[in-house]
Amino acid sequence: MFAYVIKRILLMIPTFAAISLVIFVVLNFAPGTPGGQMQTGEGGGAQDASTAGEQRESYRIFKEQFNLDKPVLLNTRYELGRSEIETSLRHILNENGDVAPALRIQAQEDIENWGRYAVPGLMDILQDASAPASLRALASQRLTFNAQIQNKMVYQKNLSDEERTEVKRIAKANGQVRAWSFSTEDPAEKVEQTTSDWSAWYEANAADWTYDSTDKLSILLLDTRFAKYWENLAKLNFGVSHVDKRPVLNKVFSKLKYSITLSISAVIIIYSISLPLGIWSSIRQNTTADRVVTTFLFMLYSLPSFFVAVFLLNLLTRGTPLQIFPTSGFESLDTSQMTALEHIKDVAWHVILPIFCMSYAALAAISRYARSGLLDVIRSDYVRTARAKGLPESIVILKHAARNGMIPILTLLASLLPALIGGSVVIEVVFGIPGMGSYLFESINVRDYNAVMAVLLISSALTLLGMLISDLSYALVDPRITFE
Amino acid sequence: MSAPMIPDTNEPEDQTFGDIVWIQFKKNTVAYWSLWGLGFLFFLAIVAPIIASGRPFIWDAGEGTSYPWFSSLFDRNYFENPVDIFFNLLLAASIPVTLLCLYRLKSIRSMGLDKRPRRARIGYELRVLVGLLLVVFTGTLFQTHSEPYTQYFDQYEARVEAGEATTATFPIVPYMFRTTGFKSLEKPSGTHWLGVDESTRDVGVRLLYGTRISLTIGVIAVAIYVTIGIILGSLAGFFAGKIDMLIQRLIEIVMSIPALIIILVLVAFLEKPSIFHIMLVIGLVRWTGVARLVRGEFYRLRGQDFVTSAVALGYPTHRIIFKHILPNAMGPVLVSATFGVAGAILLESTLSFLGLGDLSAPSWGQTLSEGYSSGAWHLILAPGFAIFLTVSLLNLVGEGLRDALDPKMRK
Repeated sequence: MFAYVIKRILLMIPTFAAISLVIFVVLNFAPGTPGGQMQTGEGGGAQDASTAGEQRESYRIFKEQFNLDKPVLLNTRYELGRSEIETSLRHILNENGDVAPALRIQAQEDIENWGRYAVPGLMDILQDASAPASLRALASQRLTFNAQIQNKMVYQKNLSDEERTEVKRIAKANGQVRAWSFSTEDPAEKVEQTTSDWSAWYEANAADWTYDSTDKLSILLLDTRFAKYWENLAKLNFGVSHVDKRPVLNKVFSKLKYSITLSISAVIIIYSISLPLGIWSSIRQNTTADRVVTTFLFMLYSLPSFFVAVFLLNLLTRGTPLQIFPTSGFESLDTSQMTALEHIKDVAWHVILPIFCMSYAALAAISRYARSGLLDVIRSDYVRTARAKGLPESIVILKHAARNGMIPILTLLASLLPALIGGSVVIEVVFGIPGMGSYLFESINVRDYNAVMAVLLISSALTLLGMLISDLSYALVDPRITFE
Repeated sequence: MSAPMIPDTNEPEDQTFGDIVWIQFKKNTVAYWSLWGLGFLFFLAIVAPIIASGRPFIWDAGEGTSYPWFSSLFDRNYFENPVDIFFNLLLAASIPVTLLCLYRLKSIRSMGLDKRPRRARIGYELRVLVGLLLVVFTGTLFQTHSEPYTQYFDQYEARVEAGEATTATFPIVPYMFRTTGFKSLEKPSGTHWLGVDESTRDVGVRLLYGTRISLTIGVIAVAIYVTIGIILGSLAGFFAGKIDMLIQRLIEIVMSIPALIIILVLVAFLEKPSIFHIMLVIGLVRWTGVARLVRGEFYRLRGQDFVTSAVALGYPTHRIIFKHILPNAMGPVLVSATFGVAGAILLESTLSFLGLGDLSAPSWGQTLSEGYSSGAWHLILAPGFAIFLTVSLLNLVGEGLRDALDPKMRK
């Protein structure tokens, strides 16, 4: 048994890795870009307007911070040459006015995403005196961004002294290059001066752009979204939310207690009501009471849970016509004055409706399964034998028949859990419970990429855990199942 | 025609499997009438423009008579959604197609074929018809917009106010699901049977056109995932070994990601989800159940004599899979598909309730979400009842079908 449990848990690791791979692929190849709405509403070349420029810059920093500037699977940017960069710059400049807006936005994105890989090409254009002045000016402006070194440690807290000096060094170097740009109206001396500044700087840092084959290989495979994602995942680092810059994992864990409270109470309620109900109606098979209960359960099963939630919310909490339960939340706003007992009562008062809405449909389904499960065994020989021995009916049903008839119900737990976790999104949103579901919903609405990823991974992990528990309990109850 | 050694197959004991299931299904009155109920919902979805449309059938505006209603049927500017165009096509084609079907049925009957070949013939022609409809449906997706539409109803009112002589024959309800301008949150009344929603649109018309959206999403999404499930499930079940293991792992992985959550995320990350995206997403996520079912059935049937004899006869593998095993495995798949349509309809209305669906389509969930934000009872009860009715009709039919297919239930 113990070995089996260990084996199952070890098997969960590759499964989980595969799940995270699927989620990664799906999210990265789905149409639409994360943080997309940050970028909408701006044209590609609106650089002169200072607010648009600032927005552009914050979007660039956002992409950098979340590795969205990197290619998804393979990074071949060490091969970037002058021609590609020149094409993009020309698209941004749009001198003839014939470049489609989508192409200009794309060119802007590309140049930003290429980051330091674009520096050699940009230098080439800048140093080429025969190139058009506007192109050289744009190249110098782009260089002030693209030559900057990515400084991710800024987003971390608790840096060591060494790291702190490193951060300062990078910031100083970045501050230096930031000033070296010119526009087409600037006098020739300034152009000359800036170009020679850049040339000197480029020569001093030339080592950064000479790649040998090992460098190329590590860039090709490791400087990608995919590699960074796994690297972070292995460190259990889900990154920070781009809304409030706090670690996503802590946030999800703080939300988890609400969702787990709801899900576990729902499971307990579902099983403690549906099993007796199923048994009760199966021993009264084909009586009026059985028919009424079965029909009622069927109707419950077909009622959409968000409708029931809205219905009950309107009926019982908003004072139209009744106001019995609180409208939203997991507990009252101020719980500091309450004793422990009052606090529990307060929470219970808040969660009664959500738990009901989460459980009624599964309750109906499982009662029906329990009924048919018991009906399957109630006519079997060993039940007749038990009756023939003169055992009281209650023992025949509860001890002999029910124990066997209920085994299939346990496997339903495995499919119940993902349904509960998924279904809780709607219920939590409707009842304003600050759990994982409503966090997911909020994160989706602001395209908080890391948060969505974390919720997806954690809910999948919970589902896997639920399946494990269901398998184990199945094995515990049914002696015919061995672990060999 | 028939050779003397073939017994007269028109005798009552010559029952196909389909006959047995159908007879069994008809005995279940609730399920039988639910099937009629579903048929009625489809009928309502098809005739929706006859009941409610903002364009008059006949419009006599002094300069001459025009027929805006008929031209609106295939106008992508008036019916923005391809689903509407498709249903309008069904509406326009309903009478000729029905006549054609009746004629073909009669001529096939008069061919003097025996029962089974006749059935096969009818089945074949039916499949061709459904295939044609699918082609037409895909075709409607690519139809492009023409010039912007004008609101005939507004024009009409303006002309009447101006005192011009106009006569127009409107449908019973002379406006569309997107016609705004009524009194916001008005309670159900004689003019607006189900009231008016927060955005000043008529709820009844929205629910009527919502039937089209819900039924299409349900059927197409399930068709997508049943196809995926059958292909993967039969591969796993027939070839076993390594392929089976691979597909099993894939099923396990997809099953462990809570379906609703991944669907929510996928739909939300699409910049402008249309109802086709929603169908596709549902179809790509929910195939695991069918795949497992088909795999199990294949495992059960693979060792049986009829398969062994087909192998011994040297039939090619695809023939054994698709002609011998698959038809025997289809029963449970059909049942699960019926429940699946209900599930897909629920999913779609959940998405639109959360505001993540196709915002231009008159989905039931959208009306319910207005009921949630405004607290108006008619906005909660009407769409809720519509969803409940459709879902429970489908569930009842599914249960009836399951019982009819179950040999234990036959008396």
